[in-house]
Amino acid sequence: MEKLKDEIASIFKEIKVNIAQDTKLIISAKKEQVLNLLRFLKDKGYNHLALISCVDWIEEKEFELVYILGSYLEKGGKGHIILKTRIHRKKPKFKTIIPIFENAEPYEREIHELFGVDFEGHPRLTHLFLERDYKIPPFRKDFDTREYVKEVFEKIPFVEDKK
Amino acid sequence: MDRTNIKKWLKTPDKMGQKYSLWAVYFCTGCGIIEIPPVITSRWDAERFGVIPVATPRQANLFLITGYVSLKTLKAIIRTYELMPDPKYTVGFGSCPINGGMYWDSYNTIKHLDKYIPVDGWIAGCMPRPEAIFIAVTHLWTMIDKEMATGYKRYKENYEYYRHNQERLFGKLEWPPLYPINEEKTEGEGN
Amino acid sequence: MVIKAVWIIVLPIVAFIIGIFFLGLQRKIIARIHRRYGPPIYQPIIDVIKLINQESISHGKLFDMGVILSLAGSIILVLFIPFGEIAPLSGSGDFLVVLYLMLLVPLGIALSGGEGANPNISIGISRKMMLSLGYEVPFLFSILAVMTYYKTTSLVKVVGFQQSSLWGIIHLPLPAIAYFMILPAMLEMRPFDIVSAPQEIASGPAVEYGGRYLALTTIEHAFHIFIVIALFVDLFLGGGNPFTFFVKMLVVFLLGLFIHAVFPRFRIDQAIKYCWKWPTILALAGLIIARII
Repeated sequence: MEKLKDEIASIFKEIKVNIAQDTKLIISAKKEQVLNLLRFLKDKGYNHLALISCVDWIEEKEFELVYILGSYLEKGGKGHIILKTRIHRKKPKFKTIIPIFENAEPYEREIHELFGVDFEGHPRLTHLFLERDYKIPPFRKDFDTREYVKEVFEKIPFVEDKK
Repeated sequence: MDRTNIKKWLKTPDKMGQKYSLWAVYFCTGCGIIEIPPVITSRWDAERFGVIPVATPRQANLFLITGYVSLKTLKAIIRTYELMPDPKYTVGFGSCPINGGMYWDSYNTIKHLDKYIPVDGWIAGCMPRPEAIFIAVTHLWTMIDKEMATGYKRYKENYEYYRHNQERLFGKLEWPPLYPINEEKTEGEGN
Repeated sequence: MVIKAVWIIVLPIVAFIIGIFFLGLQRKIIARIHRRYGPPIYQPIIDVIKLINQESISHGKLFDMGVILSLAGSIILVLFIPFGEIAPLSGSGDFLVVLYLMLLVPLGIALSGGEGANPNISIGISRKMMLSLGYEVPFLFSILAVMTYYKTTSLVKVVGFQQSSLWGIIHLPLPAIAYFMILPAMLEMRPFDIVSAPQEIASGPAVEYGGRYLALTTIEHAFHIFIVIALFVDLFLGGGNPFTFFVKMLVVFLLGLFIHAVFPRFRIDQAIKYCWKWPTILALAGLIIARII
């Protein structure tokens, strides 16, 4: 892990790398460097994309995308690599990573549906879990669940009341 | 339990038949499905009441809705309910179909199941024990005797209102209406 | 003549009662093997009463007629198999009539299944036809062995021969063993209940059957159990007066039931491989020995 950290820090500029708990390598990068970094890490042996996740920093007005990579083979090294980037919150857009990892398709669909992030180049951005369309995507922190329930579900009358 | 009461069998064989062989659709909704296999297998035996699980809704007349109902599941539940043949009974199981339960402010589950399909009885609990299922089955027998379990008749009479509620949630539904609808009753209600 | 006419009406009722009793006994004994109380023994009667009162959703005229055809085939077949010494319609040529009429049951269900628009039905019917192909071969050889040995094609004469001398199982052990090995396949009991597999294909051909069709299917199943076991007892165990006949049927059924309770299910290719291997070899050997002796 130490070797990998030094290698990354020497090749790429303007990123922060540190190791936590001996097996997690946490990298924070800018959004333009993400694709190159992922290709580099995949060549190094980390060819298993475990998860893509998203965090809503509402005060800083940014979304943070988190990519977690692991490796199947022993020679790639043990442990996970956690890669974080920030994108702005007003009209969030990002490039898809399907050319590098093909199994990123359902994760990006989920983030598009629940947070509203638009992935350019994704072949199929349709509904995965939800059945309706929402004005504000539901996982954002300014989505008020109680108001939504009052507006949609409690306005539907009981059948006995209609008669 | 008056299963051996021959006079009653001769007077009302249809009710006695429906009571003592309730076949339940093995539909696995939500988190309550973990409580059904112990009820069916050896320890708490449901077959001595006549309740067996069947694989298809065409052969069933009891529908147990166990656990929370999300919007996708509601579509499947409505289709399954409409496929079942006519004297059919629904039992809501757990506290989520009653009033939302633990997911009372969720954006994707429905809060009152009674608005979309007719329900005959409720079992409270966050997951009820198997003994509670047996008590519910015996209560259902009493209700069938007194002709209080008339969910299917209510569905047939008020089908326009049920379908209107379903369409308010989903937009246009893909399957045609089960009973013919006349358009005058639902015009006055704005969407 | 009058007695024959009376027995033509009474024998299907007796067969129905015995079949329903066996169905109820099946559920009760399997429950006791699983160490639980089961339903009461008259539970299939309650099921049939409930199913008759339920609404049945039809898919067309051919859908109705297929089920009635298979039930009619079973009822007619009951009249040709001697129950003890009572045999209303048998004469000479019984065996061939039995072999032909036994095929009406899967054909009726296939006819109604074509009308129901469900792919599960087609899978179930293809499995049923392949299973019929599997068990018909040793069944045919076994019956041919009996016909060759006794030099007759009448079931009543075969029973008569067994009454005067020893049982058929002592003269012809190999066909008897072959028939017993494919008895679960003909009854659709557990190593071979591939056709109506509720966990795999959602009950196979019965997936679209509502109220009354399912009642007719249950009644047909009851008749079918009676037919297959009564044929075995007639051919190899020497049917006597009705009470002895019933006791022998009960013994054969219980043996098959104990196998049914503990075995898992075959795949269809394993089932056909099983049916065409040892039962066929044993029945063929029995046929050759019966020809030589």
